[in-house]
Amino acid sequence: MTRRNILALVIILALFAFAICALIYPLFGREELRLGLDLVGGVHLVYETVSEEGKAGDIDRAVDIIRTRIDKYGVTEPIIQKQGEDRILVQLPGFTDIEAAKRLVEQTGFLEFRQVELNEKGNPVYLSDYLEDARSNFFDKDEKGTRIFVDEEGNPIAFLSKNEGGLIYTDEEGNPIDIEDLRQGPTKLLSWIPARGDDGTQLTGGFLKEASPSITTGITAKPEVAIEWNEEGGIIFDDIAERLYPRLSESPERCIGIFLDNTLISSPQIILPAYHGSGVITGNFTIEEVEHLANLLESGALPMPLQKPPLYEEMVSATLGAGFIDMSIKAGVIGIILIMLFMVIYYRLPGLLASLALIFYGTLVLALFKLIPVTLTLAGIGGFVLSIGMAVDANVLIFERMKEELRAGRTLGAAIEAGFNRAWSAIRDSNITTFIVCGVLYWLGKNIVASAPVMGFALTLFIGVAVSMFTAIVVTRTLLRLFVGTPLAKKTALFSPYIGRV
Amino acid sequence: MFDITGKRFWFFLISGVVILIGIISLATFGLKAGIEFSSGSMMTLSFEQEVDHDELRQELASLGYTNAIVQRTGEGDFYIRTVTLGTEEKTSLEDALIARFGNLEEAEFYSVSPMVATETAWNAFWAVLAAAVGILLYITWAFRRMPSPFRYGTCAIVALLHDVLVVLGVFSILGGILNWEINLMFITGVLAVIGYSVNNTVVVFDRIRENLTKGVSPNFEIVVNNSLVETLSRSLNTSLTTLIVVLALLLFVGASIQNFAVVLLIGIITGTYSSIFIASQLLVVWEKGEWGRFLQWLPVAKAKSR
Repeated sequence: MTRRNILALVIILALFAFAICALIYPLFGREELRLGLDLVGGVHLVYETVSEEGKAGDIDRAVDIIRTRIDKYGVTEPIIQKQGEDRILVQLPGFTDIEAAKRLVEQTGFLEFRQVELNEKGNPVYLSDYLEDARSNFFDKDEKGTRIFVDEEGNPIAFLSKNEGGLIYTDEEGNPIDIEDLRQGPTKLLSWIPARGDDGTQLTGGFLKEASPSITTGITAKPEVAIEWNEEGGIIFDDIAERLYPRLSESPERCIGIFLDNTLISSPQIILPAYHGSGVITGNFTIEEVEHLANLLESGALPMPLQKPPLYEEMVSATLGAGFIDMSIKAGVIGIILIMLFMVIYYRLPGLLASLALIFYGTLVLALFKLIPVTLTLAGIGGFVLSIGMAVDANVLIFERMKEELRAGRTLGAAIEAGFNRAWSAIRDSNITTFIVCGVLYWLGKNIVASAPVMGFALTLFIGVAVSMFTAIVVTRTLLRLFVGTPLAKKTALFSPYIGRV
Repeated sequence: MFDITGKRFWFFLISGVVILIGIISLATFGLKAGIEFSSGSMMTLSFEQEVDHDELRQELASLGYTNAIVQRTGEGDFYIRTVTLGTEEKTSLEDALIARFGNLEEAEFYSVSPMVATETAWNAFWAVLAAAVGILLYITWAFRRMPSPFRYGTCAIVALLHDVLVVLGVFSILGGILNWEINLMFITGVLAVIGYSVNNTVVVFDRIRENLTKGVSPNFEIVVNNSLVETLSRSLNTSLTTLIVVLALLLFVGASIQNFAVVLLIGIITGTYSSIFIASQLLVVWEKGEWGRFLQWLPVAKAKSR
């Protein structure tokens, strides 16, 4: 037993102890193995953004806004990332209501304030007025902004804008609508134009400082959203209030239209000449709706809309995931035990040492998964379990070589060294091809939307094979060398059951 | 000592027959592409009450999903694959099923848009190609000191294609009979098999390299045969340990990882076979330049077997 070998043994034991501690105790802020969505349950969405010559940074801003919205829901460790040039990936572990998740992410949340368009006589303008005498210009010629007509529920029916050719009606996606079609439907719809301050700035959610859910103080308590304007927003709002306030009571001209993503959510009347920077959005809201709305407004609007439906949707329930964990632990443990049995029966003492090395291997790999950290998915566990099977390969190669050397009549010490040295080139070359495949899988995982399984497998297989080279070569050799020069080394039957017979 | 190389044409014949069956199946059944590659929605629903497979299928058909694929995956659990479902379509589908069969829980839901599906299929194709090229280059490099190193790389790639073809053939049969689909886990499994197959081949080639350098025999065929025999127990033992864990995965984890485990299972068997009986034998055939002899041998072989 050389001094070098004892040193190697001490280092290996220390590493083993470290790996066990790393698995049991929180280390470097890691409490648990990180599990993928398919194991803990959750929602995974990938959206494509709709942006006309998208400004750089718009997507990053959208990612921040979505993160703010989600954080308020208390999802632990959500992942919100830009993917590629124009995609956004959202992963919500443990959050299994996919429809709620989609509502939360995909709503643009663009809040704007509008008022009713007035004709020359100061009366409100309706869609019917525009349709009656096929006009080529707006009633209110000073206001160039788009008009919105909404139905009773507040949903947009048509948008009216002006180009060189005259007035043009479009739907929400921007497709032209035929005037005749519009005439068939309800036409007594108010024309909503942007509400602007005296300097011409339109009032939007961008001027909000705060938005929070609240309850009306009145005889019947109703949920509402309390808002607080920033300084500029407060001034614009008071400009508008001052203009609308003196109108006749109960007339539509006194209403301010609150639009969220082109839908009229509320149209309260202006009853004060000035509000000094605060207000409430009332309407027929439930408590949940008010909380959602306040969250949307507080987080801000997405700089560009997201394309619906998402490119990719995935939902896995928590119970299903928990089942997978139990089953794969079972598979891994049974696999390891069977391999150890096989190794001990076939290779005797070296097999036993290889089994010890295998236990060390499993512990070290799991500890690495936790520390790096690697997100374990079902496929990742598959890769790990597969790597257990392949981990003994290096040992099998070495032991077969050792047997040959022992048969050739060498001493145990010489056979060990020769076995390891001669097997090295095969171990190296065969594992490098596995690494090439892992690299390709990693690339594939980076380039596809449903990346979790591929990526998980590539990482766990790579780590597994890399560590197995270390454990098979360093650990097993160190353990074997302990026997060199002891009386046991003479008992060749311990090392190869068939030597006597060949 | 076993004479493996002497029977090389028999091994080519066996592989040829297996691959031919696979190709016929591929031509007849094709491969059933999962939603990752062809877009659509799939869900796993757990019903509280006992639900009959045919009734569920009929109900889906009456809701307009005539092409829906329905598979029972467990006690009261069903896998349903449809065209891409929007939010409203999905809600109304589930409401209709609840009204008909009682309460259910949605255990899994996936929906893939056509754009993503096309993208994924292409990327998977490129990945398989890149892996093959990368391995060819590496093996050619690793055997650069041998005469004609390119042969080693090429033979390893042929063995690899052999394994991929066998796996594809078996899956096409499974797809035709049991409606098994090719999903992302399948591609991951195929890439793992590629790695595994080459891994085995390299071990045998490594021994050939060593024995050639040692000058065991001037006859290349004997060198290859010796190398195969010497590495035989290693090849079988490693395959056995890997098979053990893959079987454990297949038996204990089940449905969700089934495709993956079955690909590996077939791949390990054919990968071991091809490393011994195809890759190294091709080296011998190439060395001897006897490409034409296999065809001459064929009618003789048939006459013998009669």
